[in-house]
Amino acid sequence: MSTPSQQAQSGARDSVVGWQVALGVALLIGWEIAGRAGAARWVSEPSKIAVKLWIWLGGPLYVHLAATVTELVTGFAIGASLGALAGMMLGRSPVAAAVLRPVIVGLYSVPRVALAPLFIKFFGLGYLPKIVLVGIVTFFLLFFNTFSGAQRIDEDLVHSMEIMGAGRWEIFRKLVAPGCAVWIAGGIKTALPYALVATVTGELLATRAGLGLLLSQAAEQFDMTSIYAVLLLLMVIGLLLSEAANRIEQRVLRWRQAAE
Amino acid sequence: MDQIAPAPTQSRKRDDPAKIRLVGAGKTFQVRGTELEALKPVDLGVGGEEFVALVGPSGCGKSTILNLVAGLLAPSAGQVLYDGEPVTGPNRRVGYLTQKDTLLPWRSTADNIRISLELKCRATPRAEATDRVAQMMELVGLRGFEHHYPAELSGGMRKRAALARTLIYEPETLLMDEPFGALDAQLKLLMLDQLQRLTRHRRMTVLFVTHDLGEAITLADRIVVVSARPGRIRAVHEVRLPRPRDVFTIRFSEDFARQHERLWDELKDDIIKGTDV
Repeated sequence: MSTPSQQAQSGARDSVVGWQVALGVALLIGWEIAGRAGAARWVSEPSKIAVKLWIWLGGPLYVHLAATVTELVTGFAIGASLGALAGMMLGRSPVAAAVLRPVIVGLYSVPRVALAPLFIKFFGLGYLPKIVLVGIVTFFLLFFNTFSGAQRIDEDLVHSMEIMGAGRWEIFRKLVAPGCAVWIAGGIKTALPYALVATVTGELLATRAGLGLLLSQAAEQFDMTSIYAVLLLLMVIGLLLSEAANRIEQRVLRWRQAAE
Repeated sequence: MDQIAPAPTQSRKRDDPAKIRLVGAGKTFQVRGTELEALKPVDLGVGGEEFVALVGPSGCGKSTILNLVAGLLAPSAGQVLYDGEPVTGPNRRVGYLTQKDTLLPWRSTADNIRISLELKCRATPRAEATDRVAQMMELVGLRGFEHHYPAELSGGMRKRAALARTLIYEPETLLMDEPFGALDAQLKLLMLDQLQRLTRHRRMTVLFVTHDLGEAITLADRIVVVSARPGRIRAVHEVRLPRPRDVFTIRFSEDFARQHERLWDELKDDIIKGTDV
């Protein structure tokens, strides 16, 4: 029951997908040929990578996958909530923001990834050092984004709520938080790739489990197939995360689409 | 026709103590080190249930007066009293319809109008709130737009939504800053009619800023003419037209025409004087 224009649209979409599949297959075939022609030392071969992944699926992969995903998700959730909360609170209290500014800017000036060795010394080889690292990376990105959002809340809206009789908490819940939603969603989208970088970096340095460990082990043994297998897995995780972030953003910002 | 004589006459609620009183209240802003006097010290009383319109050239401090009464600005001289008490901080006894509509862009029209009923200070059962929202949407002619976001409404519709949001909680005093500027003439009359009906029915006190003399004469008990910056009260006119007024036809009456002419003379002088300064 679709109109001609809808049919045309879905037709166009189908042909785009068709071309994408064709391109992907062509790339894989090219890669395979290159590998078999002698470049396998550098690029491995897709068929070997597939076999490797299949073997891993039957064995130790879950432990590593679970480690990486747990560290990433936990660290991100904690860092993002604290960052958004701190951003909203400081964004709405100029005095506190001015007082804390040097501390925040100072902390932010240290490259976060450089803190990894410190956290490994503090927290050992388990999940915790990576969770803290991911949390801190995420915290700052969410904090700065949300902070700008909270500062840009229209004072006239605040006044209108005050006159209506809203208390501080009601203004926070009904005005500041939803007003910052756009900025928080933007911060989440920006922070996710960085959080993945932080997780893997932490794992590359020292860990008991995780995709980063698989990667460093493979590199020590010059096992190109395993390296590419891990990179593929990381790519899939990255894609899934950004897709999830897009969905969340679309849901939160329905009113924005209405405006366009 | 002595009905419109300028002589002091009995106002509708002269016996009531003033609801709003400005006592030598003035406002000076600091703009880059220099002082800008927005409002010279003025004295003004608004009685309970009185409808007072402020008219004057733009930038004359009319909005400053509303902001003082709303408690969004503190006077730099004198005092602003509400029910005899000095106003300190946002005045929660008033409803304030600012020139800019302050709808929340992420809430649908109905949810925007509902917001005051969600607050702890006047928590309302959901079903009752929904009923009242529906009534208000009907009243301001927005039925069918419940689920639209503010960005999907025209300027006039947003104004009406903001009006509905202010009226729904029935504040005892209504401060309005050119609420109907963006509306077309026909719709404006309909809204004036509704506003008159509602404010009389709910016995509201109204302080209303407008640059439309016709609007002021149609609605107000008294019209306060404010002069160009720095604002000061130039004259106060009683509007001696019987109530209830038929907003659709009153503008064709002879009384109305005289009031209009008299007010225009006041304002015209002021505009000329203002340019000399």
